[in-house]
Amino acid sequence: MSLYPEPTNIWESIEYSALGTTIAESTWMFPTLETLHVISFVIVLGTIFVMDLRMLGWTSNKFAVTATAKDTLPWTWGAFVCAAITGLLLFTSKASSYMENPWFIRKLVMIAFAGLNMMYFHFITYRTVTHWDRDASMPFAVKVAGALSLISWVVVVFFGRAIGFTLGIFG
Amino acid sequence: MDEGGQTRGKTLSMSDLLFNFTEWLRTTFLVDFSLWISDTSLSMWLVTHFWAIPIMQVVHILSIAAAFGAILMINLRIFGMAGMDRTFAETERRYTRWIWWALLTLVISGLGMITAEPIRELINPIFWIKMILVIVAILTSLWFHRGVMTKLSTGGAITSGTKGGAVFIIILWCVIMLCGRWIAYAPV
Repeated sequence: MSLYPEPTNIWESIEYSALGTTIAESTWMFPTLETLHVISFVIVLGTIFVMDLRMLGWTSNKFAVTATAKDTLPWTWGAFVCAAITGLLLFTSKASSYMENPWFIRKLVMIAFAGLNMMYFHFITYRTVTHWDRDASMPFAVKVAGALSLISWVVVVFFGRAIGFTLGIFG
Repeated sequence: MDEGGQTRGKTLSMSDLLFNFTEWLRTTFLVDFSLWISDTSLSMWLVTHFWAIPIMQVVHILSIAAAFGAILMINLRIFGMAGMDRTFAETERRYTRWIWWALLTLVISGLGMITAEPIRELINPIFWIKMILVIVAILTSLWFHRGVMTKLSTGGAITSGTKGGAVFIIILWCVIMLCGRWIAYAPV
């Protein structure tokens, strides 16, 4: 019955699944999911920038680091979940093309790196936050975490755009 | 049949509307203007360098992220959901500057993208809808935030009307981002 060939690997199985083919065959689903993906990660980036700039000691220096974290983190996480879900759905529709695209793999690696950097900051560096919470100039480890976060998210966006411009030219 | 037919009818009329808008754009000076832009050496340089357009898009996305993060923080302050350790005026002072700088880089990267692909942008109904919404968003934000500032400094309180304004501005910027993404899918 199916118009699609027998899948030969897990990525093709995902792509030829009912969900994958529904998204791929629809005229509006892919752009709509892309739009929601863009709005979600714009919120992720925007709120992370606010936090990173405070960590670098460039803005909001009069205010506590913990206050900035409280303002931004719930939005960062909520939007990140939305970006991950929409990203996964976009992936489903062209799974094998994405897996063959080096920029897609680089993007995932970079997101993982940004995640590790954030975890190290939260579980190690942040434990002493009471000592520097209201300081204008941050300890070196905090500045490094802020800079690494800023750079890695900029690179994630670049890799994300690179996927869109190279999808289908690999493999 | 009934439900689906209706939905299909509506979708059709929406794309008809956009199509007619495009047809009209094709009768304006914008066609000659776009062709003139695409003949400039800058435009030619941009289209012959593979990474030029994606990099301008990256700058555009990073700028809207910086602007929207700041817009979110100001409007969430109205809801008492962010920045409660500071006054509204302090929040305004902290974030408004960033919105203006981000708007500047948005305009520069946007102009770059128009230069690279003038027909794709200027003969595109969604592009013009987006431009109108950007102007509406900027003017409404200026007027609205100035109003909130005056109100609060004269001892006024945040009302449900103020909160409605904050939600409106956030939704407006989301629609602008929606248009940005759909420029690529416009029926031109």
